[in-house]
Amino acid sequence: MRPAWSVIFFTVSSGAGLGLLAILALLRLLAARVVPDGTALPMLALGLLLTTAGLCSSTFHLANPKNAWRSASRFKTSWLSREAVFAGALYPVALLYGWTLWSGTGGALQAICGVLLAALAVVVMYSTGMIYACLKTIPRWNHGLVPVGYVALGLYSGTLAALPVIAAKSGGPVPVALALALLAAALAVKGAYFVIFGAPKAVHTMADALPLGKKEIRLLDTGHTHRTFLTDEFFFRLARRQARFLRFAVLVLAFVLPLALLTVGVSGPPALAFVALSAFTGLLAERWLFFAEAEHTVRLYHGQRAVG
Amino acid sequence: MRLGLAIDLDTCVGCHACAVACKEWNGESLMAGPLPDYDAYGKEATGTWLNRIRHYECGTYPENKTVNVPMSCMHCEDAACVTVCPTGASYKRPDGIVLVDADKCMGCSYCAWACPYGARELDQDEGTMRKCTLCVDRIYDERLPEADRQPACVLACPTHARAFGDYDDPDSDVSRAAKGRSLPPMLEKLGYKPVNQYLAPRQAPEIKMQPPRPKKSLADYIRDWAGAGKGS
Amino acid sequence: MIETTSQPIAFEDTEGQEVKRTTCYMCACRCGIEVTLNREGRVRFIKGNRDHPVNQGVLCAKGSAGIMKQYSKAKLTGPMRRKPGSERGAGAFEPISWDEALGTLAERLARIRATDPRQLAFFTGRDQMQALTGLWAQQFGTPNWAAHGGFCSVNMAAAGLYSIGYAFWEFGAPDWDRTKYFMLWGVAEDHSSNPIKIGLDKLKRNGAKFVSVNPVRTGYSAIADEWVPIRPGTDGLLALAMVHTLLSRELFDAPFLSRYTNAPWLVIDAPGTAKDGLFLRDEAGQPLIHDRKQGTFVGGLGAGIDPSLFGEFDAPGGLKVRTVLTLAAGRYLDERYSPAVAGPQCGVPAETIERLALEMASIAFQETIEIPVKWTDVWGQEHDKVVGRPVSMYAMRGISAHSNGFQACRALHLIQMLLGALEGPGNFRARAPYPRPIPPGQLPENDEAVMAAPDKPLGKTPLGFPVKPEDLAVDKDGNPLRIDHAYSWESPLAAHGAMHMVITNAVNADPYPIDTLMMYMANMAWNSTMNTAGVRDMLRAKHAQGPKKGEYKIPFIVVSDAFDSETVRFADLVLPDTTYLERHDAISMLDRPISEADTVADAIRHPVVKLDRDVRAFQEVLVDLAGRLKFPAFTNADGTCKYKDYPEFIWRFEKAPGIGFLAGFRGKEGEKSLKGEPNEKQWERYIENGAFFSKHWEPGEQWMRHWNRDYQVKAVEATFIPKVEPIVMQIYSEPIQKFRLAGQGLYEGPKPPKAGDRERLVKYFDPLPDWYAPLDGDGADDGEYPFHAITQRPMVMYHSWDTQNVWLRQIMAGNFLYMNAAEAKRRGLESLDWVWVESRIGKIRCQLKTMEGVESNTVWTWNAIGKQSGAWGLEKGASESTHGFLLNHLISEHLPKAADERSLTNSDPITGQAAWYDLKVRITKAAPGEEGVWPLFDGVTR
Repeated sequence: MRPAWSVIFFTVSSGAGLGLLAILALLRLLAARVVPDGTALPMLALGLLLTTAGLCSSTFHLANPKNAWRSASRFKTSWLSREAVFAGALYPVALLYGWTLWSGTGGALQAICGVLLAALAVVVMYSTGMIYACLKTIPRWNHGLVPVGYVALGLYSGTLAALPVIAAKSGGPVPVALALALLAAALAVKGAYFVIFGAPKAVHTMADALPLGKKEIRLLDTGHTHRTFLTDEFFFRLARRQARFLRFAVLVLAFVLPLALLTVGVSGPPALAFVALSAFTGLLAERWLFFAEAEHTVRLYHGQRAVG
Repeated sequence: MRLGLAIDLDTCVGCHACAVACKEWNGESLMAGPLPDYDAYGKEATGTWLNRIRHYECGTYPENKTVNVPMSCMHCEDAACVTVCPTGASYKRPDGIVLVDADKCMGCSYCAWACPYGARELDQDEGTMRKCTLCVDRIYDERLPEADRQPACVLACPTHARAFGDYDDPDSDVSRAAKGRSLPPMLEKLGYKPVNQYLAPRQAPEIKMQPPRPKKSLADYIRDWAGAGKGS
Repeated sequence: MIETTSQPIAFEDTEGQEVKRTTCYMCACRCGIEVTLNREGRVRFIKGNRDHPVNQGVLCAKGSAGIMKQYSKAKLTGPMRRKPGSERGAGAFEPISWDEALGTLAERLARIRATDPRQLAFFTGRDQMQALTGLWAQQFGTPNWAAHGGFCSVNMAAAGLYSIGYAFWEFGAPDWDRTKYFMLWGVAEDHSSNPIKIGLDKLKRNGAKFVSVNPVRTGYSAIADEWVPIRPGTDGLLALAMVHTLLSRELFDAPFLSRYTNAPWLVIDAPGTAKDGLFLRDEAGQPLIHDRKQGTFVGGLGAGIDPSLFGEFDAPGGLKVRTVLTLAAGRYLDERYSPAVAGPQCGVPAETIERLALEMASIAFQETIEIPVKWTDVWGQEHDKVVGRPVSMYAMRGISAHSNGFQACRALHLIQMLLGALEGPGNFRARAPYPRPIPPGQLPENDEAVMAAPDKPLGKTPLGFPVKPEDLAVDKDGNPLRIDHAYSWESPLAAHGAMHMVITNAVNADPYPIDTLMMYMANMAWNSTMNTAGVRDMLRAKHAQGPKKGEYKIPFIVVSDAFDSETVRFADLVLPDTTYLERHDAISMLDRPISEADTVADAIRHPVVKLDRDVRAFQEVLVDLAGRLKFPAFTNADGTCKYKDYPEFIWRFEKAPGIGFLAGFRGKEGEKSLKGEPNEKQWERYIENGAFFSKHWEPGEQWMRHWNRDYQVKAVEATFIPKVEPIVMQIYSEPIQKFRLAGQGLYEGPKPPKAGDRERLVKYFDPLPDWYAPLDGDGADDGEYPFHAITQRPMVMYHSWDTQNVWLRQIMAGNFLYMNAAEAKRRGLESLDWVWVESRIGKIRCQLKTMEGVESNTVWTWNAIGKQSGAWGLEKGASESTHGFLLNHLISEHLPKAADERSLTNSDPITGQAAWYDLKVRITKAAPGEEGVWPLFDGVTR
């Protein structure tokens, strides 16, 4: 699939933003001392900023954004609608939550809002993942690990985004252990995904695409000389070397470097911001690869022997 | 009702008549168009088509066979393009035709991703999705003579390799054409139940051979023939 | 199941729309179309006309894409002349008025006509108006006229017309409804494209077997039940190996042969004399046969004869004679025609050849069709049925474009004759005005004095069918009289002229220089020529010395075309034509009408779209010029023009009393057809009828028309044929034998003065169909140029004049050279490698693709995809100019020769058909870094 920067930035940025919101709400519920009132609001703001920036970016992917407001119409069947609905639901909750923080209205209302916010953030991330995972036409996406990965990476990157804010604002302990735990979880999910989809697979073959009852089907001519919408959309050619390099970059920037820096105990907002930025860069590469390596069944009709 | 096409791979010569007729009718159709062209006279001309003909080879020389495969929307019974569409622009009619209401489409291309067959193409000028409508504005247009209430591709096809009709009606053109000759659905295991059916290239007819006659020498032939003056 | 939704359907806004019926012209097929125009008069939709005899409602990709041709950017907008001071070919033009354009042209033509009319060479492309252009050339007085048939199809037309009285190409069609076995020889997507496609579908539905003999498996061959990959240029040998099989198994239709062919005619065996190989004839010239009952020699055309098919007889006067079939058996039963010997040369297994021949025979003789129908033969005998041996064949370009194509095509007709599979149910059948006498009784003008006479029309048409050496257009020294050398000793039966030699010969002043070259719809500076780069240089060649130093060797070039083709750039004067939707046309009974086997039909075009630019239909230009030049047929006694325009010319002109360009709606009230007085309302009647006229033959007139009295009475009335008489199919061709005798020095009449011509006549003018290796490949080292290189045009562009069409070019805007995958592997080549393709005259670079469906010794590509940069309205860098290439650069218009020999045309030595399928090449991988198509031609963008 053609990596579209609007969508890549959207999923990375919104993922971090939503992760940050979820972590904020959970920390406030379970370990409020880590996130005192003065820290919570900037965290909330950053979370919403990242989420909104991502959502705005996603509209650049739309060829006819004036109809974007209709995107919630198919909640019953479309994960894209569900994502829109849940994201839409998240904002009032987040704002109410923010009001409780700002006004100091603690107690049950904040707790309820926090639970709701965390749940919605996770559901939105899951929905985003399901947008891809529900597509049977793209075997690399059509897998349970995909939404889990979106959630895990979102929580992980959201936590990393939270660290410099906490360090700057609260002056108290920084939840490094949590970050490391989420890093481990995200790495495990992503690692499992890479193991499963490391080598090209033949989930669908040309024989499935063209069940002519004949042996050895090959493309002779696509019937068009130049690029088409289909080739633009579904035919990203990724060199094997390029893929290897990018996987390495993902591993180093998103996981190894943050792990190393956090384990050696870097502290202070600038250093922690650097850790977060490294992870974001790594995740941008991860998301780019997620598209670039995905193969759509349309390729079978254009002569590719198998996709998977 | 399951309206769809039957496409006979035994007679499709790959002439692109259907694709061009489709482009012509639907390019200005209020239900399907416009179908813009890009860089039309330029370096790499391309454009929006609802039907593309691809050419394949099977087997190895000299036992090879060339197969031409026209592909357009299959109007799947379980059309994922419809269910994934977030805006409600893509919809399935009670007669089975899958359509896009361009007025609702936000151009996210998600439906095109969900379609296994490459049947949907984005109009990059208007930013909305295009697809085969089975010429819904021909087949129901009662102002047209009845014989013309057919999709443009079916009307044009010079080898009559395309038929249109309701697969739920055993007497329809498609049901009769497809009877006993259908190939398994393309990418069957995805489970979308494409309505269009492709008909298999047939086996070569068998010729009942005349019992062979022995070869003789030329002189014998001439003598026999000169005497009898007859052949078969 | 997913939820369904109903929404209202927005139907077409038909207010102000109008539907007009006319005839398509996107290729040579002539389908009926319905053009829907919106209220602004803009074409909305083009659809096949269901009532039309040619396409019965269907329409090909080109037909539907006609709309994009109408609105093409490549359309010329007004007359132009080459900018004074600019070089020819540079494409610098300035607009001029029609008055000035036609005024200067008429002045120049008048001067030529008043001095030496031969100085005008007028060659047209794939136009469908040769009855008019031929008449115009004849009235002008120049023999130097032809269309592109010499490049395209003359071998098919001539072989048929010298053998069976009709021909593959447009003069016959398989009986698709009844045939049970169909063999298609070579690429044939070029003519009758929709009728063939409709027919192939019928075959399949009826369970008939479809065999394709073709080095390449694309197009129609894709759906063949059996594909026979053959080495290019060996079709004739394959056919004769089938003949061998049929004869050796005694599988032939003896009654058909004895009654309907010249199989029993008696050939004189008198080697070394002028009579050798001629038919034994009576005093009246009637060929004789040996009658078995009477035991004597009797007239072969008479009634009630019982001819010996085989035998050797002593004729009066001590002559030894043998029947044609005896000669044929002697020839084809020879081992060299056996499948075992011929197979390896054709690249087809012997068993396959034998099986195919036996399959055809099995169908022909075991699955015979009988149709109960009363008909009377020309001898007066009544029949109550027709018998069909339901095997049919079709062939076109693939056979035609070889230097042995004439004989190869005759070999196919021989199979048909042996099987008795012609003109009957399930057979290849004639389309009116065919069948005609064999060959048609029309001789080409060959009187040098008439040709040179100022201000005088020719006495005969420029083109015709010679039957003896006296009919050649040569001077007393044996030199050609025509600029293209048609009807010279080099190309004696060049019935369609030899367009491909015109420019080369004109530049070499061979046999004489010309003043003006007028081209219509002929892309002779690009894909309709051999040696394209060389020809382009010739078009701008100047005299290097002498009094004309610095002047162009072809002083004046006029081009008429609707579109900005490569050739337009070489014009001194450009006469812009209209599109086919903007003008009147007659697809005339005098030319190549649209008849089918059961119907006689012709058609028209009429303007359905209003002109929006300063262009004129070339027909109008011709009629206008004919008036200005005062051609007798176009001028009243008082010197005024007879016809105000082309439509008037069409309805009023009579070739013979009651016979005009259009056969329908004649007579005062339009009540007569085929023959009748001119009808002022003829055009209106055609338009009302859907732009065509068709009339069914009565059931008793539909079959066996070579011998069908009722049909022939009508055909005589319509002047299709001169008289009611048996049209006897010619297995053995006496006219060809006469040329051979001339080559042997035995003919009592003109003989070729040059040894080379004599050898060619002896070698190739075989009165029986025979096979020889293609001339250009003959003697060439197979190791040096191991591949046959052939081309075909894709179905979306065949005969479509131009490929700038913005829809069709999306389908194909670049081409590859295709090679058999296993062969490529053996040679270390891979798909997408850049390769050099070299022939004996040059090389090109292009990109390779491998495939299964191509014979091992063959490479091929799509033809005429390559375009000159800037032509056809395409922008600079358009992939047709950067990823399209022509093989034409590699094909010489001349055969290889020793330094002291004269140049001979690279054509069929009998018909002059350009032999562009004879190309042999070698392929080598380009060096690293050598990428991109080469050569490229500088573009001009106006």
